[in-house]
Amino acid sequence: MNNFLDTILTPFTYVVSWVLWAFHELFTAIGMNADSGVTWTLSIIFLVLLIRTLLIPVFVKQIKSQRAMQALQPDLRKLQAKYKGKTDQLSRQAMVQEQQALFKKHKTNPLSSCLPLLVQMPFFFALFRVLNEASRASDDGRSIGALSAEHIRSFDGSTILGAPLSETFLGTINSGAINWAVIIVAVVMILAMTASQFFTQRQLMTKNMSQEALQGPFMQQQKMMLYILPLVFGIGGINFPIGVLIYWTASNLWTLGQQFWVIRNNPTPGSEAERELNARRAAKGLPPVGMKKEDADAAAAAAAEQRAKGQRHQPQRKNRRKKK
Amino acid sequence: MRKDSAPRTGLLWFIIDIPRNIVIGLLKTYRKIISPLYGDVCRYFPSCSAYGLEAVTQHGVVKGAGLITWRILRCNPWSHGGVDHVPEGPRIWPEGKLPRIIVLNHPVIPDDEDAAESGRKELDH
Repeated sequence: MNNFLDTILTPFTYVVSWVLWAFHELFTAIGMNADSGVTWTLSIIFLVLLIRTLLIPVFVKQIKSQRAMQALQPDLRKLQAKYKGKTDQLSRQAMVQEQQALFKKHKTNPLSSCLPLLVQMPFFFALFRVLNEASRASDDGRSIGALSAEHIRSFDGSTILGAPLSETFLGTINSGAINWAVIIVAVVMILAMTASQFFTQRQLMTKNMSQEALQGPFMQQQKMMLYILPLVFGIGGINFPIGVLIYWTASNLWTLGQQFWVIRNNPTPGSEAERELNARRAAKGLPPVGMKKEDADAAAAAAAEQRAKGQRHQPQRKNRRKKK
Repeated sequence: MRKDSAPRTGLLWFIIDIPRNIVIGLLKTYRKIISPLYGDVCRYFPSCSAYGLEAVTQHGVVKGAGLITWRILRCNPWSHGGVDHVPEGPRIWPEGKLPRIIVLNHPVIPDDEDAAESGRKELDH
């Protein structure tokens, strides 16, 4: 099983190690210290930037279909009205099914699919393998992928704030001679990693979920996960080399920024973020998203009339009201 | 699809179903712990993990794995998604023992308001 996974990961390991090597050469060429942990850390951060930049087309595709969603607003509102107050799990399932059928009918889907995530996974595992193998390979004088034995030795020996990039929190505890720099850097990185994960998730839940989703049966579970997951990653993090923690934190920060941008500019219909966006648009004299100016004015006039009617309380016979 | 004449019970089926039940356990754990991390991203109904769980429940590990792989490959930013149910399997379940995932994946769609109203009128006559 292990060999099988290794075989699958080999091409990814090669790509990851080559990218690390290329950035490392680049930074050395512009005068940075080849053996410094800062140079290697920057190489890891630029690996993240490269992967996420390559994924931008997928992301843009998603944004475009979210824009196309505005055309579906009336249909979606009708659906929301149909399931209003029906909060049991089966009703929610029925609603999701109808929603997906609607997206399919209009050939647009605001959801990203899990591909962007699946694509990143082998690269992450490959990096994990490169960093995890580094100290053993350095002892044996081996190379890993595109990184020569010399590069591996340089990487293994490099430190950031006194903590070797290939060392783990658990490793230094078990070694008998505890390196406090590793403990401190690892704890700070684990906190940064879990905090960025937590804020990404919370931002999604507090700002970008429709009222219906917030009342759904999975909400309680999601709320619980919001607090449990940072714990899981915190505990898992003590097993990760510092280099992997750097990669993960950088990746999380990118996600956080990207999501902030999406929520601000393309919020989910019926969410808090949409209300905020419409408030900002109103301040600029623009109609709410997805509405034409005339429609918005007509809606506002109708609402005003409704309010005026509500104040009068004129008793009316049923047949008279109908005539009007 | 030819249906079984009776539910698959007894020691023999218990043993044959061990791999299937292990994978069902793994998928349930995934859906409980890892799925919520990414929120709703799937372009299909049922979502890929719900589809996978039902596929393994209905068809066992081998055919189920094939169905899941094919579904995950189809679920990408260039597909339109939509409603895509697991093909029916041969298994039947005793009254009231239908696995929860099958119930959840096949919700009864209530009639639309107008359709419901016209239906009521027909009943009145």
